[in-house]
Formats: sequence, structure tokens, C-alpha cells
Amino acid sequence: MSTQRVDYSFSFRSPYSYLSGPRAFALPERYDIELAFHGVIPMAMRGQAVPQEKALHTLRDVAREARRLGMPFGPVYDPLGAGAERCLAVSEYAVDVGRERDFVLSASRGIWAEAIDVAKDRGLRTVCERAGLEWAACRAAVEDPAMKARVDANTAALANLGHWGVPVFAFAGELFWGQDRIEDLERALTSAGLRREQPTL
Amino acid sequence: MLKRRLLPGLVIALSRVTWPARLGAAARRRTGRSGTVELFFAFDDAASAVAVIELVARLASRDVQLLMKPVVRRGIPGDPAVDLKRRYAITDAERLGQRTGHSLSRRDPVDAADCAFLAGWVAAAPPSQALGQFCSEAMGELWFSSDGAVNPKPFAALWAQHLGGAPPAADEEAVRANERLMAKRKPYDTPAAWVHGQWFYAHERLAQIETRLDELGWTAAA
Repeated sequence: MSTQRVDYSFSFRSPYSYLSGPRAFALPERYDIELAFHGVIPMAMRGQAVPQEKALHTLRDVAREARRLGMPFGPVYDPLGAGAERCLAVSEYAVDVGRERDFVLSASRGIWAEAIDVAKDRGLRTVCERAGLEWAACRAAVEDPAMKARVDANTAALANLGHWGVPVFAFAGELFWGQDRIEDLERALTSAGLRREQPTL
Repeated sequence: MLKRRLLPGLVIALSRVTWPARLGAAARRRTGRSGTVELFFAFDDAASAVAVIELVARLASRDVQLLMKPVVRRGIPGDPAVDLKRRYAITDAERLGQRTGHSLSRRDPVDAADCAFLAGWVAAAPPSQALGQFCSEAMGELWFSSDGAVNPKPFAALWAQHLGGAPPAADEEAVRANERLMAKRKPYDTPAAWVHGQWFYAHERLAQIETRLDELGWTAAA
């Protein structure tokens, strides 16, 4: 039987994506799936207005959710613009070398729990190197138009799925939106008979 | 630096300050007053159905008054994803309902105008536990027991059962007042629960609402 795929759309500017990361990347340990990571351009850089009230509520709600999940939250450094773009380009390179989990978790923690400015080389280098990526290759990825084209394609694919926000998981034609809907995705994976007898280590 | 780091940090830090709310809650208890949860919801919203049914049940054993605040108009003005959100809300509510053993009976959005009469009835009535029970059962009837056009008859029967007599004339001005209060409290969509200074999306933060009430000293009776 071929391994089934879960598509995972993620934004480095979304603190909810940050909260989803550890549990999302752990899914293949407990389910017989391939998790396909797709970094997408932040909503605010796609021409979608984010009202101030929504932005404030998000920070407050994520603070509560982070506490519930036992994850650090704050100090933050909003990566809107160049920071998000650079992380997206590097994440495509990380996919190519099989280190997307390490990079995404490192960069999102840096942004949302360590106030690392990933728009600057110094900050980006920190999150790249601790994810086991070579800085020279990451720097090249940032300048590579092919990486940007892949991110644009990821973003278009999310829109084609009929969705607007992140994180989103797509499995067997169904969408699961939100870090707090991973349990519903897991129910669907279990119903599909994909739960592993023993978690892989 | 200010917008990217300092302001977010301030918002997060302030969100963790609970002593003023705890002091206020203690003062309320000393003067014999119960806690309150204002629930802003819409009858045409499947997520609101989950929130109303669950909160009415979960708050019953606490010294907390659940104030039902039905609204019709809500959302982010000019939101391009509003239709997608309404449709996705049904899929989402189906899954949330499954978590608590409820199965959604509708597969299509309900037009807000078709059930605005329910908001008008509820907004016209004074707060009471019976009103909460009516809302819970009306949401159950609308989203978990029926499909197609909204027929007022079963809702009138539920009103008679819980509140006695015929439903009042729909009070549209009271619904508008709820919408204004919701805007003042800052939630921009339903269902939203305002719990002594903090608001939560009520359908997906049920446990967190209970945690907030526990923090404020309104714990569930054993």
C-alpha cells in the first residue's frame, strides 16, 4: 500500500502555524503518512486586510494556547515582509535536503519565542545553522527566483483548495484549518486505518 | 522595532495579567453577585450552535450567569472570504459536534434573514436560565435535527415549553444593541464569549473559558 499524503500549508507570520509545528511534524511518527510541507505567503502580503482587533486577539489567544500546549510564546519579532519571504525561500531549500522539520521549527520558534529578526542575515543564519543547514546554501536560496516561484505556487495551491488562512491540513479531499483541528485530522487518519501500531522513533 | 517587537510584547504581557480580574471577581462574590459570560452568537451560524449547546451545559454547575446575546450582523467588513468561511463553518461544526456526540443535520448555510426572528425573540426577553435552555434546544432543532427551510412552528413550541406562552414580538432594536455591545467588546465574529475582560471564540475555546472561570474563582460545583 502506498503511503498517503497530508499537505500542510504554513505561514511563518502566523503564530497559529508556529503552535501547530511540533504536533504536525510528529504526525508521521504515529500515522503511516507523508507530511508535505508548503510554506505560503502571509495573508497580509496577499492583499487581505487583517483588522487591528483580529491581530490583537490573535496575540492574546495564542498566548493562552501556548500556555495550554506548554510552548514558549514571546518575545516575538514580526517577520512581515522580508523576514517571511526569506524564511519561505530557505524552507523550500530545506525541503530539498530533507530538513524542513528542523528549519521550520527553528525559524518559527526564533520568530515567535525568541524575537529573532529573520529579515537580517545574522538572525536568519542563527535559525538556519541550528537546524543543521549550511548558511551559504541558505543565503543562495534566498536569492534564488526558483524558490520564490515555488512559494508562489504553494500560495496559489492554497487558494485553489478554497482556503484563506493557515495552518491548513489537506487529507483525502478534506481540509482541516487551525492548530486546534489537528485532533480532527487525527480522527480522520485513524478512520482511514493509518494509525501505526507502534510509533516510529 | 516598535510595531514588530515592543507592541506585540506589551500585548502578550498584558494578556497574562490576571490580578485585576481576580480582584473584581472576588469583589462580586463578596457582594453576592455571580459571574457572567456574555455569549454573542448567531442562529444562522453552525459554530454558534456548538457554542450555545456546550456552554449552556458546561456552565450549569457554576455560579455564572450565561447572558445570551444574539446578533445578526457581524464579521470583518469587506471580508473576501466570507462565503468560503460560512461554508467551511458547516464542515467544521460537523467535526466539533462529533467530538461531543452530535451529528449536524444541515449541509448548507442558513440565510441570516430566515432565522433572524429567533434573534429578535431572544433579544426581547430578560436573561434567565430558561432562556439559555431555549437557545440550546432551538440550536439543536435548527442545526442538529432539521434541514431545508426554517419553520418557526417548532421554535414557538420550544418557547412555550421553556418560557411559557407565545414568543414575544421580535425586538430588532435589541438585536442591534447586542451588535453594538459586541463591537464595543471587540469580537468581530461569532460565536464569541466575553468573560470578565477577555474574549474567546466560544465554539473552539470551551475548555479555556472554563479555565478562565476557574482562575476567577467560579469553579464548577462537585
